[in-house]
Amino acid sequence: MPSTANLLHGPGILLILLLVGAGVYLLRRRRAKDHEGGDRGTGHTGSSGAPREQTDMTVISPESQAIADPVAAGAEPLSVRSEPAVAPSPAQTRTISLRVGERDGWAVETHGLTKRFGTNAAVDDVELLVPRGSAFGYLGPNGAGKTTLIRTLLGLTKANGGTMALLDTPVPIERREALARVGAIVDEPRFHEHLTGRENLGLLAAARGGEAKQRIVPSLQRVGLVERADHKVGSYSMGMRQRLGVAACLLADPELLILDEPMNGLDPAGMHEMREMIESFVEEGRTVMVSSHLLDEVERTCDAVAIVDHGRVVRQGTIDELVHGSGALAVSVECGDPGMAQEVIERSGMAAGVALSDSGLTVTLPAGSSRDDIAQLTRLLVEEGVAVYGVQQAQTSLEDWFLTVTSRLGGDG
Amino acid sequence: MSTIETVVRRPAPAPRPTSPLRRMTSALPTWGLISTKNLELRRRRGLMVAVFVLLLGPPVILYGFRLLFHAVDPSHYGPAGTASAFQDLMGPMPELGFIIAVTVGAAAGTTDLTDGMFRHLVITGRSRIALFLARIPAGLAILLPVMALTFTLCCLVTSFEGVPNPPSISFDNGVSIPVGLSESQFHGWLDDHPREALQAFPRGGGEFVDGVSVASGSTASRYDAYIDVERTLNPPINEMVKIGLWLELVVGVGFVVGLGFGALTGQRTVTTIVLIAVQVIVTPIFDRAHIAYFLNGQRLLVGVALDQLQPAGLTSIAGGGGGGGPLQHFGSGGGTVGTIPPMPTWAMIFVIVGWIVGWSVIGAWRMATRDA
Repeated sequence: MPSTANLLHGPGILLILLLVGAGVYLLRRRRAKDHEGGDRGTGHTGSSGAPREQTDMTVISPESQAIADPVAAGAEPLSVRSEPAVAPSPAQTRTISLRVGERDGWAVETHGLTKRFGTNAAVDDVELLVPRGSAFGYLGPNGAGKTTLIRTLLGLTKANGGTMALLDTPVPIERREALARVGAIVDEPRFHEHLTGRENLGLLAAARGGEAKQRIVPSLQRVGLVERADHKVGSYSMGMRQRLGVAACLLADPELLILDEPMNGLDPAGMHEMREMIESFVEEGRTVMVSSHLLDEVERTCDAVAIVDHGRVVRQGTIDELVHGSGALAVSVECGDPGMAQEVIERSGMAAGVALSDSGLTVTLPAGSSRDDIAQLTRLLVEEGVAVYGVQQAQTSLEDWFLTVTSRLGGDG
Repeated sequence: MSTIETVVRRPAPAPRPTSPLRRMTSALPTWGLISTKNLELRRRRGLMVAVFVLLLGPPVILYGFRLLFHAVDPSHYGPAGTASAFQDLMGPMPELGFIIAVTVGAAAGTTDLTDGMFRHLVITGRSRIALFLARIPAGLAILLPVMALTFTLCCLVTSFEGVPNPPSISFDNGVSIPVGLSESQFHGWLDDHPREALQAFPRGGGEFVDGVSVASGSTASRYDAYIDVERTLNPPINEMVKIGLWLELVVGVGFVVGLGFGALTGQRTVTTIVLIAVQVIVTPIFDRAHIAYFLNGQRLLVGVALDQLQPAGLTSIAGGGGGGGPLQHFGSGGGTVGTIPPMPTWAMIFVIVGWIVGWSVIGAWRMATRDA
């Protein structure tokens, strides 16, 4: 049967080649995915794929730990009332007392949440508490694991450990119930480019079911896209896509909006519109969680913030709390003999820290210090014979603080 | 119990009604989901052009010209709907249908991923399996009508613009045998008409009609000779219906396989190329190669099972005979006849259903477990 034998070789070899090819393809895809996930999640891998040397994390003081995880720290009621970064009008200032587990609960709550890509932990033991009815910033440099955390929260990828809940609904156990009240944009908002904005929303409304279809037009009106609703998404600018993404979120009439880098690709006017939109959502009682690497935007938009670096939440609390730390007061002293002044202050034990600066000294007074302490410090220096030319409370921005806290020091932004 | 007091910059939030909790646990897709997925596919202009051009184009062009020429000069150009024209169209139609179906299936299985819509859809909380299953009726609602339209066009032109079939086949030696006989009916007719049988098919071989020869004069060879003559006639209506249904099956299987494979790989181009290669290269090889100890393996290929399930009308068109044979495949040189023994009907159905169910399950599983 020479002919059969010849034919046997053909299909046999073809089959083997197909199987081997499929195996190699799947293996390469898996590896590529691992690398992609690691890079996206943590940025720990270099071109060779080997983990970079870990940078030491900022040591969290007991006070800061209490902010980061008040429940775990068993903290006493924490009351911090410092000047907000943007001074509010008195009418707009209010105090929310949130009793955990008794009143509204948390919009987002995670404990020990971990997501690994291979050996890289993109989300590393994250403890996160997002209060309801607030704008919450999830702030970190590129590759810190912000998007991975959001993807994990939304069930787009599986967690490797820990627990999480959205709107007091445990996920992934009751993920569908939770997501019915959540709207989210993850990464840049992408849609079917060959469909119009309205058709894309129709697709998502059909998936949501219920009243979502009736919300298409109001959502488009809300984000100002009615005029372009019947144009193909392929012709949309980045700003319009972002707005369409927000409209897609609104189809759920969400109690919680999770927006991943919503300012990306927006011009100043677009950023202003987005900021106003986020504020209006919060005013309606919705919770908005914004992930961003733009410090200024988070500072302007959000009430509270969590700082993430290398997949770990290194601080969380209100912006005021974070900027002013645990109540420590920074004072800039312009004087004639900084070296002598430093020695005097250190000897007195008044300051938590003293550092020489270009114009004199930067003195950090301990937590709970007041303006009287500044006066006392000045008096001490004068009594010791130091010529004091000026004393000024140092203005600390979130950016200063962020750069201090994160290990990257603005390396890749 | 811990308390956090936090200063915020907002006025007190207005109370708002809680969104109704909707249970979206059902794996069955809703009508709205199916119709929007159908819309999403229909709006792909290039894909739809390919579907219509490749499926509907050949009969429209062929019959269009034949009808035109016949209308202009009937003395030189015969009727448009001849059996040969029908054969010419039915030869590549299953292959084209399968390839187009695979292409549409691959697009349906991958488009949400490649366009970045998959995560939007997952975030809605809708069952991922429902999201996958919605694509099956959505895609079939495009392909099946187009294939039905194409085949109906062929049948209409053949039936109404062709030459009616004679009641019997006249052999050169004057013997007339009724058309449309199955193999058993043919043998019965030969038994009932021994004299005509001997005249039409003399023992010891001979040449009968149009060069068709029977070397041994065996019964099977006589039926082959009869079929070869009969295939120059239009298929009867019942055969046309069977052919139409079989073509719809080919398209349906192609779509589901493309959809499942596409959902598995997440890559449209890879899916399309691999499945076209399987259909155009691997299937003909498996059809022809009679590998004794791998015969059942060959039969597991859906293309082989589909070929063997094809109606007798198509079998005769393709030059096969007996219990079924493969269609002509591209590049096969024409008239390729399968050499592997025919499968039992239950085995054909088992293989075809297995591929449909198997790829549906694989696709749904991948959709349910894939990172979005």
